Amino acid sequence: MKEIINKIEKLYPISDFKQQNDKTALLTVEQDKAVDLLIYMQKFEGFKHLAILTAVDWIENNQFQLSYIINNPELKMDLILRVFIDREKAEMTSIHNLWEQAATYQRELKEMFGINFPNSPRVDKPFILEGWDGLPPYRRDFDTKKYSEDTYFPREGRTKNNPVEYMKQKLYPDE
Amino acid sequence: MGKINDILSPFTAWKHLIREPLTIKKPLEREGADRYRGFHKNEIDKCIGCGTCEDICQNAAIDLVPVEGIETKHGDSGLRPKIDYGRCCWCALCVDICTTNSLSMSNEFTWIDEDADNFLFVPGADAKPWDNSEKGWKKPNYNLYNPNRVEMNELHPEERDKSFIEIVQGYSKGQALAEADRCVECGICTATCPAQMGIPEYIKAIRNDNLEEGLRILYDTNPLPEICGRICTHKCETVCSVGHQGDPISIRWLKRYIADQNPSEKFKKILGTDTIEQNGKKVAIIGSGPSGLSAAHYLALMGYSCTIFEKLPLAGGMMRYGIPEYRLPYDQIDKDINYILSLGVEIKYNTTIGKDITLEQLNKDYDAVFAGTGLHLGRSTKIPGSDNKNVYFATDLLREISLGNEIPIENKIVVIGGGNVALDITRSMARLQNQKYGKVNIITTSLESEDIMPADREEIIEGREEQAQIIPGWGPIEIEIENDKVKGLHVVKCLSVFDEDGRFNPKFDENIKNFFEADMIVESIGQGMDLSYLSVSIKENLEMDNRGRIIVNKHFQSSIEWLFLGGDIIQGPDVIHGIANGHKAAIGIDNYINNKK
Repeated sequence: MKEIINKIEKLYPISDFKQQNDKTALLTVEQDKAVDLLIYMQKFEGFKHLAILTAVDWIENNQFQLSYIINNPELKMDLILRVFIDREKAEMTSIHNLWEQAATYQRELKEMFGINFPNSPRVDKPFILEGWDGLPPYRRDFDTKKYSEDTYFPREGRTKNNPVEYMKQKLYPDE
Repeated sequence: MGKINDILSPFTAWKHLIREPLTIKKPLEREGADRYRGFHKNEIDKCIGCGTCEDICQNAAIDLVPVEGIETKHGDSGLRPKIDYGRCCWCALCVDICTTNSLSMSNEFTWIDEDADNFLFVPGADAKPWDNSEKGWKKPNYNLYNPNRVEMNELHPEERDKSFIEIVQGYSKGQALAEADRCVECGICTATCPAQMGIPEYIKAIRNDNLEEGLRILYDTNPLPEICGRICTHKCETVCSVGHQGDPISIRWLKRYIADQNPSEKFKKILGTDTIEQNGKKVAIIGSGPSGLSAAHYLALMGYSCTIFEKLPLAGGMMRYGIPEYRLPYDQIDKDINYILSLGVEIKYNTTIGKDITLEQLNKDYDAVFAGTGLHLGRSTKIPGSDNKNVYFATDLLREISLGNEIPIENKIVVIGGGNVALDITRSMARLQNQKYGKVNIITTSLESEDIMPADREEIIEGREEQAQIIPGWGPIEIEIENDKVKGLHVVKCLSVFDEDGRFNPKFDENIKNFFEADMIVESIGQGMDLSYLSVSIKENLEMDNRGRIIVNKHFQSSIEWLFLGGDIIQGPDVIHGIANGHKAAIGIDNYINNKK
């Protein structure tokens, strides 16, 4: 893996390389060169398989992290490519031309994180949520608990007690 | 050749006819994996109903409900979690955060019922077949909050054993944030605080780094935060839910952090007390201890003009004259008191009721009177020799030290008592001995064995670090006197202090004796109230119970309707009860005066 890295770091703006174990390594690549690097890895370094494309919401830094996990079946190695994109302008070049199944991942990311991949096939079609028009639910500012309370509560037969208020009533009934 | 294989190979499949099938005959009887997250279990007696499971549940699947047979008491809300399996997503966050480690999950996942409403139950209270199942998800070995308290910086024993400099140095911002971050905001502590302070709310204010909001929350229920942030008996911490599986939250030090970080000159602006509309009514307050100051503060906020009559030259009562400076520095007492004075409260110092002005006169001049005169009289063991002039009361000596007067310090000192006052005088005199003789020779002995000594644990530990000998479990029987000089204290082994009914009834083994050499003895076995300021006619009209305690109603109003009483003479003894009493009395006085006209 080290030799590959030595080669590509001369060609692409990569950083934070980390060999996690014999079979897995991580690196970060600049957004505008990320697809170029993926093409290079697919065509010239034998990373023929896209294992997953997913995202992390770094709300503190106003960024999304995209993680492309690509696999070289001959070397039996995984490489995790991290790409940080602006959270406000959450958009990334589609890679459905490199791997057809990427379109499905991109459709999921559009729905769950609100990250757009222009020209990706069917990217705007609902993936698992139907009729969802609120904040994408995997964004960290989506308040799951509030959503649950608004959507599913109150249910008939359910009552709530606040321990502080309840203890006050029970222990200090005069006050 | 290939062709023959093509014809024969399908028949090889026939061999599978006699193989054991891989499918499961009865899928409903298949057991989940050992760590499967199935239906919940709850050890109902271990659970304290803190509601942290309810709070963390992102699906709003948990409600806290009362359960028959579970009483609400300090440290236990009496509520238990009820789970709606229509909403539960089996994520197990409730188990992972559970403060008492009572909640877990069985590996049972099949349950068929035609009525959807049956899938709501209280684990542990509503019996289920999986209640005794050993397998399933248990709290993992990582924690969602830190179980360990952020260490407080303190002076080392050698840095402090000759001086009265404050020992506890307070939290830095980073420390306070880390400590506040451990709080699960359950609020179990609130009911146990005598003043019912909004503890989770002010800890949240620290987490949000909004210390002005924190200060406002403190002053809602407690106008002496610098003082309480240092010397409160912190009963709240004894019931803290996080304390069940770790150290309780350092509630007292966090309160101090808020008070310390807000500069005194900004208090009026932060608390919105720059201008208070006056109502023209006057209240007299006797004693400037915690209850009197608290009453004055809340009455002043309501527009009353308050005058405090204080016997001693400075305000604070036992907080100033009973607690040593190394625990509670005088400038911090002043910070709290000066703010209350800035609201227009007046203090008449060196004024003794019954001598300089009578209570009857106060009744004529003011619309109501509040008395929080405290427990300042030392109690004697009354053992032979206790009338010697070298036998002192702790409260008298502590007061003299605070007044700046010199107190007698002998080479060998014995203190009788096991409470915080005994430790206060022990550690104060150890410092003075160290200053005077360069060494410490002081023995503190109590009836109570070490496990039931009423003093705070840290007082005992720190006292020993400062070279005081603390020897619990002995009953004093005689002070040996020779030529009118104290020689020492004879004691016998104390076997038990309380009887089966929990009443004070010490039992001794007279055959196990000990003798502590001393040329000075200090008695610190409790304090009594001095009610000499009450005239005979007032005493006659004042209702008392058969133990001589004054009876007051929930507003701390006595049988003499214009006279309200609170603080150590009614409840406690401690600062926080005094504060709570003063607050309630202020509301009572306001009601009384409004109904009078």
